[in-house]
Amino acid sequence: MSAALSIRGLSAGYGPIAVLQGIDIEAAAGRLTVIVGPNGAGKTTLLKAVSGLIPREGEVLLDGARLSGSPASIVRRGLGHVPEGRQLFAQMSVLETLQLGAWLLPRGERSARLDEVLAAFPKLAERRNQLAGTMSGGEQQMLAVGRALMNRPRMMMLDEPSLGLAPKMIEELLKIVLRIRDSGTTVLLVEQNVAKALAIAEFAYVVERGRVVLGGSAKEVLASEEVRTAYLGTV
Amino acid sequence: MTMSGFRERPSRVTIAALATGVLALAVAPWVLNEFLLSLALTCLMYAGLAVSWAMFSGATNYLSLATAAFFGIGAYVTALGYESLTYPVSVFLGGLAASAFAAIVGVAILHLRGAYFAVLTFGLGELVRHAITFVEKKYSGTVGRVLTETPEAATVYLTVLVVALAAVAVCVAVRSSRFGLALAGIGADEQRAQTLGVNTRLVKIGGFALSAFFAGALGAAMAVRWTYIDPPAVFNPFIGFQTVLIAMVGGAQTVAGPLVASIVFSLLTELLRLQFPYLFLIILGTLLILLVLYLPGGIASLWTRKRAGKRDG
Repeated sequence: MSAALSIRGLSAGYGPIAVLQGIDIEAAAGRLTVIVGPNGAGKTTLLKAVSGLIPREGEVLLDGARLSGSPASIVRRGLGHVPEGRQLFAQMSVLETLQLGAWLLPRGERSARLDEVLAAFPKLAERRNQLAGTMSGGEQQMLAVGRALMNRPRMMMLDEPSLGLAPKMIEELLKIVLRIRDSGTTVLLVEQNVAKALAIAEFAYVVERGRVVLGGSAKEVLASEEVRTAYLGTV
Repeated sequence: MTMSGFRERPSRVTIAALATGVLALAVAPWVLNEFLLSLALTCLMYAGLAVSWAMFSGATNYLSLATAAFFGIGAYVTALGYESLTYPVSVFLGGLAASAFAAIVGVAILHLRGAYFAVLTFGLGELVRHAITFVEKKYSGTVGRVLTETPEAATVYLTVLVVALAAVAVCVAVRSSRFGLALAGIGADEQRAQTLGVNTRLVKIGGFALSAFFAGALGAAMAVRWTYIDPPAVFNPFIGFQTVLIAMVGGAQTVAGPLVASIVFSLLTELLRLQFPYLFLIILGTLLILLVLYLPGGIASLWTRKRAGKRDG
């Protein structure tokens, strides 16, 4: 069920502005890999480039097969993407959002999958008829994650899911991320909450100014002096 | 812009009111005089056109001015098949021809958005009009066709009623379907819809073609009202503009809005024309400006505003 993602020599940007310059990242199958880095390092651009939302150069492989084409065809290959800022359809209800999320599932599987996702997110089940735009930030983030899960992705990318959330909600959300990984889905997590992210991840990369400056097991990265001084404020 | 009002599920009271309304509309040919029946026919035609237009354009925010082209294609199917086809078959084929045309041009133009899409769809009507004029001049030596024996007024009315009702039924069904959710998703943010795996290109082509079917069928049904059919009469840009206007004044995000607006608009136009023959366009124009200024969400916002936030499922 899980799939491994390989990003090799990836460069991307917006028009003449080059943001990523030859990124190499491996996300091991069934594991949680985290990407950390300062604002403007290119983390969001990286996920967008992998999803096919912006043009890119270099190679992206999912289980050894090239991942290219339109965003829709990339999703069809088993890649789920929870974008930064949730990107929900504000005027759709929770149920409608999840139904649209199940676009790729065969008819016979949709209602069972909806029940599974609603069981995993009891808050969404309670608010199934509420409009997405009227929910709190944490609930919206859960809906965005639930929506991406509807298509049963083999690999899931989450872009700063904790952004703007209360500490308690962040804890809850990271538990959800772990549950997704434990269910056998490969997870690539972009996170600004460095200490918390590195504590739960198996592998980690530090991206700065469009390049990978450090990579390895999360423990190694956490132990590195560079990360401790620049991101955790300790020596 | 709000999407509330989408996929609303009618209550029992609404269904009963609708059934009564449909029954009343169905007996109209035997109750109303010729003038009122003709007025009712205009209302129904615009109801069908505006509802089917809103089904695609209201949901996706693709402002299509191609209604005149689809309507004209349908009308020409009736004109060409006048001697060989029965009236209902002409109406159905008129819809199919418009649908096929929409699907073919949709492949080429549905990647455009905003003003480009609007201008191009407006050009479609002109393109088809000039193409037909050219072909008729070249091959038949004359432009236009005379329809000598046309169906009775009641038959035309009931046919247009059936097409308009079908447009409303299909529109309601689409809005509560996955296909409708995808159209609404495209309207809100097309790229976001793609990241969920939606093949937005195919969905747009399907929606555009489905919407064109009803415009084509209504054109084919209404063609017999003119005894002489030529391109300027049936490819009339006014029909396209009027459709967009009605849908927007009603609230293009809803089914009920364009429906109500088509009745209000047709009745108001007729009333003002009879009461103030010299001033009616000035009054109508002023009313439209006021409506746009104070009800930007259309007439439908009068009742959908109250339902912001929670909706019953």
